[in-house]
Amino acid sequence: MGSYLIKRVASLIPILFGISVLVFTILHLVPGDPASIMLGTNATPEAIAALHKSMGLDQPLYTQYLHWIGGMLQGNFGVSVHTGEEILPQILKRFSITLQLTLFGVLIGWALAIPFGILSAVRAHSKTDIIVRVATLLGISVPNFAIGTLLLLGFSLYFNWFPPIDVVSFWEDPVEAFKVFILPAVTMGIVVAAGVMRMTRSAFLETMDKDFIRTARAKGNSQWTVVMGHAFRNSSIPIVTIAGMQIGYLLGGSVIVEQLFSIPGLGQYILEGIYQRDYPVVQGGVLFVALVFVLVNLLIDLIYTWIDPRIKY
Amino acid sequence: MKKRVLAGFFLSLSLMLSACSGGGGTAAPGEQAKPQEGQAAAAKTELVVAAEQEPVGYDPHKVPAASSVRVYALIYDSLTKLDENMNIVPNLAEKWEVSPDGKTVTMFLHKGVKFHNGKDMTADDVKFTFERIMNPDTGSIAKSYFSSVESIEVKDPTTIVFKLKNADAAFIANTASAYASIVPSGSTDLTKEAIGTGPFKMEKAEPGQYVLLKKNPDYFNKDLPKVETIKFQIMKDEAERLAAIRSGKIDISVVSADSAKLLEGKPGVQVKNYQSLEYSYLGINVNKKPFDNPKVREAISYAVDRNQIVQTVWKGEAALTGPIAPALTNWALDTASYPTYKTDVEKAKQLLAEAGFPNGFETQIETAATYPDMVETAQVIQQQLKAIGINAKINQLEWGNYIEVWKSKDMNLMVGRNTSGVDADRSMRFFFSTTGSANVWNYSNPAYDELVAKALATVDQAERKKLYEQAQTMLVADAPNLFLASPKNYYAVRDNIDFTPTAAGEVYSLIKTAIK
Repeated sequence: MGSYLIKRVASLIPILFGISVLVFTILHLVPGDPASIMLGTNATPEAIAALHKSMGLDQPLYTQYLHWIGGMLQGNFGVSVHTGEEILPQILKRFSITLQLTLFGVLIGWALAIPFGILSAVRAHSKTDIIVRVATLLGISVPNFAIGTLLLLGFSLYFNWFPPIDVVSFWEDPVEAFKVFILPAVTMGIVVAAGVMRMTRSAFLETMDKDFIRTARAKGNSQWTVVMGHAFRNSSIPIVTIAGMQIGYLLGGSVIVEQLFSIPGLGQYILEGIYQRDYPVVQGGVLFVALVFVLVNLLIDLIYTWIDPRIKY
Repeated sequence: MKKRVLAGFFLSLSLMLSACSGGGGTAAPGEQAKPQEGQAAAAKTELVVAAEQEPVGYDPHKVPAASSVRVYALIYDSLTKLDENMNIVPNLAEKWEVSPDGKTVTMFLHKGVKFHNGKDMTADDVKFTFERIMNPDTGSIAKSYFSSVESIEVKDPTTIVFKLKNADAAFIANTASAYASIVPSGSTDLTKEAIGTGPFKMEKAEPGQYVLLKKNPDYFNKDLPKVETIKFQIMKDEAERLAAIRSGKIDISVVSADSAKLLEGKPGVQVKNYQSLEYSYLGINVNKKPFDNPKVREAISYAVDRNQIVQTVWKGEAALTGPIAPALTNWALDTASYPTYKTDVEKAKQLLAEAGFPNGFETQIETAATYPDMVETAQVIQQQLKAIGINAKINQLEWGNYIEVWKSKDMNLMVGRNTSGVDADRSMRFFFSTTGSANVWNYSNPAYDELVAKALATVDQAERKKLYEQAQTMLVADAPNLFLASPKNYYAVRDNIDFTPTAAGEVYSLIKTAIK
């Protein structure tokens, strides 16, 4: 187990290095230039040149890369070429917001998905099952920006309620944070729920057909004990897998929801960086998301061993 | 046992959360209503303005982005400013004198003006500011505005003299630009600190969330500003801004023409508009075949129905425009005087045939995907050009890419938007003279260059107006650009806010805004 962990962590280094080269290359291949974007279509060539110089963009590309990666290795993410502010504190601050939003969204998703998924598997082909499956289909098909917009407009039109616009963290003011995050988290949660619900249903359907379930029933156990005591743990591996992947994707992919509800999260930060061609911001941000993503995957792999003792590394 | 506990935990969690997510929404309106009533009881002193884009820095000499200007123009003052009738009026300079030959401009500064850090604002700061703008290393946007300045002398703490290489009739107007804001002498890095003499001080900028400005109690105009704080709340989504203004979370927001229609007659909100200084154009690269043939450009000008663009793209809420937006009433020529503005497809076809393209040709229109109005404008023009046999393919570009293409001077046709600026010189010389920085169309006409140079050196305003009228007529006939429409800009404003937007700019209105 220990050696496995060391191996896994060591394998992160080439992965992250590869990503750093890839992000840097792609970003610099994309047409567009931070100085010109900043100055817009009223710029004079000399103003652009001066800005280039102050941004350090007059250097050859490999120099720029080495300069950046050298800084990164010392934990220095550099500064934004536009605002001159330090990038790392911004990333951490925004990541904490995205993380809160994501976890809240995932919790809402699971809270909806797991009970209903189990229900629709246990009562396969009943009316309940059909309703749950239609709801799932809707959740998967309707894009999250549409759900979010409907929630926002619906609440503001019919209840004259609008979420607080200043974002606070749960540990600063849980009640206020709940109000801030509830609509975006529900928006995320609906999409999450649809995926998890499908997975839960099919995993349970498969398990409920197994011999040990028939044995458990034959022993005279109640339905509840059979489902929760015998089927639950055996069905949870695929559910945990999909949940882990979702957390990973949501951390990077919450950008649409963040944009819609003006949540200053990491996704929004990177997106804004892309629009402005703020190279260090995008490079640092993407690398950070990649790191989180691989760490989440590692964590999921470790959770497997706890769920299913037969899995050994 | 362990499994039981786990299962129980999951279920109770599910129930708890379902209850929360179900109940959160319905309980909230009641809770929300209380503070709003409370706000009405205690006088509201904070003005909340929605910002569609996040500011990208606060250095007035380096950052032209509108999202930044609307903030830093409240923190800094310029020497002069525009009023709602587009006249130049005193600001930090309380009066000025221009020598008879137009080569010496003396400005007399307000006495007793202080920067936000308590330091007195003197002629030294003004000199420092202009030297910073003119220093090539600064990379200032306003450097080209002041290319006529030869030297700057400080006569005494409140008198400053600009010596010009040549008479420059646009000089005073250019000092009204926010890009020529007066900064404290010795300032090095203005990205970190924003210290001006303006009506508001920078209180706090929370990246991604808001920028908070606080009233400057020592502002040199004692009656202004009328609110204690202004908060620019960053909200990138139009739907979110609409929901927020309707529920009273924000007081003022820019909205699109379509949203303005939705908000008409809704309780608590008023929609206000003004004729903007912006106009849309179709740029034509006069170096590219077949556009190097003036007859082809003339044909396109006759084929494009500008009124249809006003109706389709702007829902009728825009004015026809020439090279100078009609809101600049002192300078803009009436579009009725341009023959090519009367759409005439037959004449266009005949001109194309004369130019050697009886069956038209294939070409491309570049446009910015970021701006729906630019995309729609390109689509309308595409349809209109089809009628004379020109098949144009539309390229929708992401903004950064669009700017690259614009800079390349290698496009065929390109839809874009310009701002007229405050003086005719900018609209005419900067965009279309042979050496103009923003002349990416390769347009080079010595007669035109001479006209605008002469107009710039003419101090007599009536004479200047005549020269610019000739220049506008020449430009429309030559058609390096087709000038299309100057839209109205819309604001949604809460009923209890006394805010009147004008072409003089948002800042001008915000300073006077009061909460009823």
